[in-house]
Amino acid sequence: MKCCFQIHLKHHLLSIIIGILFSSPVYSGDELNCVLCHKHRGLSRIDENGKFRLFYINQELFESGPHRRNKCKDCHTDIDRIPHKAANKVDCTQECHIVEPSGQKKFSHKSVAKTLASSVHGKLDKDGLPKEHQEDYPNCKNCHDQPLYRPLSAFKGNLIPGVSARAMGRCKSCHKNGDFAEDFYDHVTTRLHKTRFAKETVQVCAKCHQNKEFRERHKLDDVITTYKETFHGKLMILGSEKTPDCLDCHIVAGENSHLIESKDVLTSAVHKNNVSTTCRTSECHENAGPMLAGFQTHVTYDREKYPLQFYMLVFFKALMALVLYFFLALIFLELLRRLFPSFTFIKEKKHEDYHEYVKLIKDKDQHNQ
Amino acid sequence: MSKKYEAIIYKDGERYFHRFSAHQRVQHVVLFTSVITLALTGFPLRHAEESWAKPLYNFMGGPDIAPLIHRAAGTVLLGLFVYHTIYWISLFYKNHLLKLKQENRLTVKNAFLEIFNLEMMPNKKDLYDIIHLWKYLLYFTNRPPRHERMSWREKFDYFAPYWGIPILGPAGVALWWRDELSHYVPGIVLNAAYIMHTDEALLAVLFLFFVHWYNVHYAPEKFPAATVWLTGYLNEHDMIHEHYNEYIRVMIENGLEHEIKPQNFAGKDYEW
Repeated sequence: MKCCFQIHLKHHLLSIIIGILFSSPVYSGDELNCVLCHKHRGLSRIDENGKFRLFYINQELFESGPHRRNKCKDCHTDIDRIPHKAANKVDCTQECHIVEPSGQKKFSHKSVAKTLASSVHGKLDKDGLPKEHQEDYPNCKNCHDQPLYRPLSAFKGNLIPGVSARAMGRCKSCHKNGDFAEDFYDHVTTRLHKTRFAKETVQVCAKCHQNKEFRERHKLDDVITTYKETFHGKLMILGSEKTPDCLDCHIVAGENSHLIESKDVLTSAVHKNNVSTTCRTSECHENAGPMLAGFQTHVTYDREKYPLQFYMLVFFKALMALVLYFFLALIFLELLRRLFPSFTFIKEKKHEDYHEYVKLIKDKDQHNQ
Repeated sequence: MSKKYEAIIYKDGERYFHRFSAHQRVQHVVLFTSVITLALTGFPLRHAEESWAKPLYNFMGGPDIAPLIHRAAGTVLLGLFVYHTIYWISLFYKNHLLKLKQENRLTVKNAFLEIFNLEMMPNKKDLYDIIHLWKYLLYFTNRPPRHERMSWREKFDYFAPYWGIPILGPAGVALWWRDELSHYVPGIVLNAAYIMHTDEALLAVLFLFFVHWYNVHYAPEKFPAATVWLTGYLNEHDMIHEHYNEYIRVMIENGLEHEIKPQNFAGKDYEW
């Protein structure tokens, strides 16, 4: 929220003007005119726990988000009057008033929550007992802070980001309501590629997995830093869209992306029996042999865990230090020597005339021949 | 290929000494062109998190094109390595083995021993020169070392790529053909290849940038750039400074014994 707040700060003036001109609700879901108050950027308070809470709703951002067709009350069910008291936290698993078109059922995120609970990120262990450090396990919003749509358009074999006017034209030939058609277009095409850039996905995972205290609590390696050391990670940093992020390797192809499992679980994408299948999925290393699975991705250069890498690193660092220090010292002393080219502590024995040295070399050469 | 070069030529009243044939100079150009290309397309990846990496990588073609350029340049460099190996072996045959044959001394042992007479082969004199240089740099003598045709520094410069390419090259090829290779070798070989490739590359580039470029660019008498890699000839001042023994030898061979100048350093004649 803080980041959205900053991004849209530059639209501050604009939104005030718009706000004055159109004080009526801007988006369709706002039947109760919630935005009347929540459009104000300063709408905030310090809650009972002393935490700063911001209640400002960035309408522009909301309009581009996946919940734009939901009414406020669909999620904030406990609010029934205005002005209202402190509202409960939204439960993402409740049924909302959107009807899922394929089954005519009210939509709910319950099945996703169930999948998450059975994954490595679930709060309960396999015996149904709460895991240690409950507060560290993620809920929906820890990862889905604001997933933005990244619609995709295909034209003459090229994939281009954005809504395709041509494709939309076809939708609109039947679905006269353009908004509805566009929502469905977004819904489908954003799922044809990654909703987030690889960089953003890694950032989401890094929120916990790069935190030192968190890693120590759960005895985890720094998988983010080690990922960034692979070619996969380096290409991610350089902005490649083709490079795999965390999800691509840690989710079984075709599986629900909320089902990230521990490498110790038999069905996990990264279980040692499954790694070779995961690496060799059709979009990645499909021509590779099964032994590719032996490649170690998250190398920490720990002496016990990764002895080969540890000793190779030591060797190359030592070699580099040796070569460079030797020559840099030499260069430094040589530059210094230029200031005092003939100074010496020990005078050499008075040399013969250099012509005699020439003769010496000459004789030596003749002798060799 | 076997063009005969004058040992000494005169230009604008200055003496120049032959160092490198055109054939060798072309090999050097191919070498540094491919190495610089490899560095420019490789290091933004190695240091992806640095601020300069992304603009440089995008300039070199970005994630889609830069790897292709990198692999093409690597192929050229490996090709040059093979070519150069054939080159020095053929020179060795022509200049050393044929001579032994003419003298009827061509035995396996003599042929092997002859390898140590190659001008690029490190020898005992180089060790003495290194020790002597340190003595000179630490002010225990006021006479700089007198080098032969190839000084130990040049030999080091020469063997740096000659041992670097066999480490970098196969590792690069392994990372390039990783999928095909994984049918035959375990994946951990790629981990090893990765470290070999990136760390040896860093050593090579740092060495080239600081040491080799000091020798040929930054050193006060060379700045801004030495010209011997272009002309193949070294001027008399630098010849005296860098290859005094060779200088004396060439001067004697060309009947210029009476014109030999004394050794000097930093513009001052060494006091005999």
